[in-house]
Amino acid sequence: MIDFLQNTIDGVMTGASYALLALGFTLIFGVMRRLNLSYGPSIMVGAYLGTLAHLHLAAGPLGVAAVTVAGAVLAGLYVERLCFAPMAAGAGIAAMVSSFAIWMQLEQAAILVLPRHTYPFPPLASATAWLGPFLLRLDQLIMLASALVLALGVQALLYGTRFGLALRAIIGNPTAAHLVGIDVRRATVLAFALASAVGGVAGFLVLASDAQVTPMFGMWATMKGLIAMMIGGLGSIPGALVGGLLLGVVEAQSQWYLGPQLRDLAAYVLLFACLVWRPGGLFGAAPVRDLARGRSL
Amino acid sequence: MIHATRELAVVAAVAALLASGEAVAQQIRAKAEVTCRPAPDVLEYDCTVTLTNARTRAPLPGVELTIGADMPSMPGAHSVAPVKTAPGAAPGTYQGRLALEMHGDWALSLNLAGPLRDRVVKVLRFEPDSVGEPAARTAPGRRPRH
Amino acid sequence: MDDYLVGVLSNIGVVSFVALSAYLLLLTGAISFGQQAFFAIGAYAAGVATALWGWPLAAALALGAAVSAAAAAAVGLPTLRLHGLYFAVATLAFAEMVRLLFELARYQVEIDGELVGPNGADGFRGIRYIFEHDLGPLQFLALIYGLLAAVLIGFMLMERSRLGVALRMVGEDEVLASLNGIAVARLKILAAGLAGALAGLGGGLYAHLTTYVEPRMFDVMLGVHSLAYGLIGGLGTAFGPLVGVLIDIGLLESIRPLAGYRMIVFGGLVALLLIARPRGLLDEAAVHWLQRAWRPRRRP
Repeated sequence: MIDFLQNTIDGVMTGASYALLALGFTLIFGVMRRLNLSYGPSIMVGAYLGTLAHLHLAAGPLGVAAVTVAGAVLAGLYVERLCFAPMAAGAGIAAMVSSFAIWMQLEQAAILVLPRHTYPFPPLASATAWLGPFLLRLDQLIMLASALVLALGVQALLYGTRFGLALRAIIGNPTAAHLVGIDVRRATVLAFALASAVGGVAGFLVLASDAQVTPMFGMWATMKGLIAMMIGGLGSIPGALVGGLLLGVVEAQSQWYLGPQLRDLAAYVLLFACLVWRPGGLFGAAPVRDLARGRSL
Repeated sequence: MIHATRELAVVAAVAALLASGEAVAQQIRAKAEVTCRPAPDVLEYDCTVTLTNARTRAPLPGVELTIGADMPSMPGAHSVAPVKTAPGAAPGTYQGRLALEMHGDWALSLNLAGPLRDRVVKVLRFEPDSVGEPAARTAPGRRPRH
Repeated sequence: MDDYLVGVLSNIGVVSFVALSAYLLLLTGAISFGQQAFFAIGAYAAGVATALWGWPLAAALALGAAVSAAAAAAVGLPTLRLHGLYFAVATLAFAEMVRLLFELARYQVEIDGELVGPNGADGFRGIRYIFEHDLGPLQFLALIYGLLAAVLIGFMLMERSRLGVALRMVGEDEVLASLNGIAVARLKILAAGLAGALAGLGGGLYAHLTTYVEPRMFDVMLGVHSLAYGLIGGLGTAFGPLVGVLIDIGLLESIRPLAGYRMIVFGGLVALLLIARPRGLLDEAAVHWLQRAWRPRRRP
């Protein structure tokens, strides 16, 4: 029983990082109705810039965090400019493939600058504490708190500000939003930047708790964000949070009871089952309507 | 008439070659050990291959050996033109210099030609200052999350 | 021909099968991130058949295609009502499940003092059919392109047939297609099965070409690439995906002097190409134009 609870705690902690990744992902998807495969790789660009700052300028955790987030936002805006802004309404698949091509580009650029397989990343806080029989890690608590705060923040932004109102209008119907005087282009870019920043925070916290970065991070971030987003429900912010946490707990339990090789398998079984039985995800009533038609992505 | 006999001879020679080739190939299976060291230039590695007969463990000299390399994570896309090797000092050893495109895991395909045709594949991890086993295999279940 | 060139051409031919597999699904409006799963299943099945059971190559390739087709049809059933991104991610999840299962799968037999057969994450070595039967690289190349040509002829016949029209119709609008009396569900399962068979055939060829496969060859990278090939090369004709593969693998080989900058140049080029031609080089309009230019103009 203690094991089960400890696993659940560990899973919630890891799940917080998935939730953060899914939060940025779902924000981009919600506003643009398009899949940005370069989401993880652009976070990785930020992380690699952070690592450079750590290696050459001896930047501490906060400095590295700032560089990582700024780098992720810049790389995200580059992706938006090249893969999404110039694409016509019907070209969702082309935009997705284009973001995949830029993924290759960003990954190679990162490898050119830092060619080794692993680099050290500054740990944030490696302190641990015992709460009764349970072991807690400080950096993971920070991760969980960040996930909750950012999810609440994004939710408050969407439902409590004029900018959020504009975004919701665009989510509902971009043409109508344009007609009532909303600067769709500007709001979309801002949402993209915000999502990249959330991703940057997620990337920094994950890498700081691992204390290392590898060129596999881009793919990892895209995949985990995508899985958590789909489990929770496409475009739903509470869904991103719950999907991330659920994914983390399922992984932690299956790692403990079934072994590390079956951990990833369990995650994909969960994803497949969720999609087949409840395509809209846990928090979506029905699949996003645009998607019911094969062409738009 | 002369033409006909010559053609017959060619056919016979090809048939004999095919038959013998098949016989040889079915008898001998090559086994290879590969060690690589970083060369002075970045992304270049000096590799030594030791070929033996898988069953008898006897060294296999006189083979035309080329080494090609592919990244397992992307079939077909990242591949390096095969390099020819030169026989080393000990019988059955061969040496060649590989120029890779990036660091990471590479599947080396050792292509044997000449009297013995075969291919042996070895996966190695190439780092800037060392070459070793791929990470996934050195510590099963303990690899980092990404 | 230079051995290396033969190798590159063989790779292009084999990867074209997965690209065509993704393209076939794309015609029916289904975006699959998971065709690499059937490529893997075909590779393992055909490899086991020749290396462990001593089957002839043709039978092994047929087995690979059949098993992949069955698996694809089986996945097509529960994912029938999924569309767009939901379908894409479901196929991705399935493909990753297959890859992870191959990481666990062990089935080895001792041959000549060496263990041969799938060995989990270490892969499956010693699929030595072409060496045991003295099949030269050129002969194998001819086999690959012979099969590819047969597949392309099949595609061309299909595009002219009622089946081809029905498939594109389902891709445009399922509801409209079913209102026109098309059995949408049956057609989608059929397309999934055919696409699975294509990828499986490619996988079988690939396993015998390289003599070695391992699970991580079949990760999501391969799947997204095969989808991308159709979009780069063009969705107007089955030659589109081939052009895509040719551009990716062929062009990458030819700009080798750029070495470390290859993906930077290539990624940028693809992004720019897709801005100019969102349905690829050989899109429907280009194909139409080519057809008109090809046929002699009729005089009134």
